[in-house]
Amino acid sequence: MALQNSFMAPLIRENPVTFHVLGICAALAITNSLTSSLIMSVAMTTVLVISNAAISLIRKHLPASVRIIVQITIIASAVTVIDQLLTAFMPATARTLSVYISLIVTNCIVLGRAEACAMKHGVGTSILDALGNGFGYSIILVIVATIRELFGNGSLMGYRILELTRDGGWFQPNEMLLLPPSAFFIIGFMVWVIRSWKPEQREKPEFEPIPLPTEEER
Amino acid sequence: MNNDSPMKAFLVVLVVALVCSSLVSAAVVILRPIQLNNQLLDQSRNIMQLTGLLPADVEIQDDELLQLFKNLDSRIVDIDAAAFDDSLDPYTFDKRRAANNPELSVAIPAQLDTTGLGRRSRFSPAFLVWQDDDFERIILPMRGNGMWSTLYGYIALESDLSTIAAAVFYEQNETPGLGDQVTRPDWLAQWQGRQLYDDQGEIRFAVAGGRVDPDSSSAAFEVDALTGATVTADAVTGLVHYWFGPHGFQPFLDRLREERLDQPIPGEDS
Repeated sequence: MALQNSFMAPLIRENPVTFHVLGICAALAITNSLTSSLIMSVAMTTVLVISNAAISLIRKHLPASVRIIVQITIIASAVTVIDQLLTAFMPATARTLSVYISLIVTNCIVLGRAEACAMKHGVGTSILDALGNGFGYSIILVIVATIRELFGNGSLMGYRILELTRDGGWFQPNEMLLLPPSAFFIIGFMVWVIRSWKPEQREKPEFEPIPLPTEEER
Repeated sequence: MNNDSPMKAFLVVLVVALVCSSLVSAAVVILRPIQLNNQLLDQSRNIMQLTGLLPADVEIQDDELLQLFKNLDSRIVDIDAAAFDDSLDPYTFDKRRAANNPELSVAIPAQLDTTGLGRRSRFSPAFLVWQDDDFERIILPMRGNGMWSTLYGYIALESDLSTIAAAVFYEQNETPGLGDQVTRPDWLAQWQGRQLYDDQGEIRFAVAGGRVDPDSSSAAFEVDALTGATVTADAVTGLVHYWFGPHGFQPFLDRLREERLDQPIPGEDS
């Protein structure tokens, strides 16, 4: 049950993007194309699994004083190796993702899972947790990318689905969807939907709003 | 050993650093040849597509492509001297690195810098296409700042050195769906047959503000606008104007037009 939970929980209920609101930077930048989002999802999940497994393996020998720097070293190495593999075997995709693969190092989800899970649990649990968070991240990326590419460009994974007016078709694309801010709206909308469905996720207000002074008090 | 002793911290960091750095170095060293080969293939494909020598509709094998590319007459142009420079090897010359090297590059005068580069290399590769004994095309690189990214491309000119035979942008990071239309094959196909220069030798090529009106006097110099990508489209006009203007290849092309080009003797060319 506990094992199953570490995989299932991050998919939707404790999704890293919509619940923890982590890893937003790349989610905004690369979700204008479904292909890049899928590659990014695979890269991200792989890095998560490698870093969680490695950190969990050596967690009992990690002095608290240097643990963050060791975690970052491991994460950065995994990312660099994956970046090199992509440029060698998928050069075209690597070019479109450019700097965002290297930026996985700074993606808070990876370090967050290392600290929150891998430092405290065994290898098996950590890998399941990494897979769960990787898939949770991927689900959001794929949904956002599908909306953005389909309605922004009328295509999916580069295949034309809706004929654009500029090519003589009927579909007038919403070009704003191709720009990063649109992902903000889509992710915000998803957070709202999930929190309406699961009200326990709503954050407690940090303070009571001060009531406006009445006429007499003014 | 106690986990909190400084010795332990030192040892752990040392071991992790050693393991990680060997993994990263191994990946870089092992994958380097594949990556270089990808780059070379990519470059060969971009250039060979502009030569008009590739068979249409037939998928060409990688090694065949490389062979064709190696047989191409490639040279280095000294842009400021408006002449070929045979002392540099076109296969090892790195034009991007040269643009940042103070000895190999020159500053672009601000009033001529229509493409926002700041500096350019003094040398540039050029690829010449011969059909039997006749000079047929010259392929020259161009680059410039677009909306978000630097656009890298090549342009192929017919033997009159003004008519565009073909063009390509092989690297860019413009807005997907808008600025990245510079890579659309149907748009690039419009470049074919357009003139860079008018009869007075003024550079006139431009991306139009809308559809090109075939009856207008500038129709021979213009290609259609890119819907929703005015900044990128203007950047394309700007970079063509720079690279084929007086501070770019124009003096070199003027000189080529006057002097007869000699075809390299097969075998002598490295």
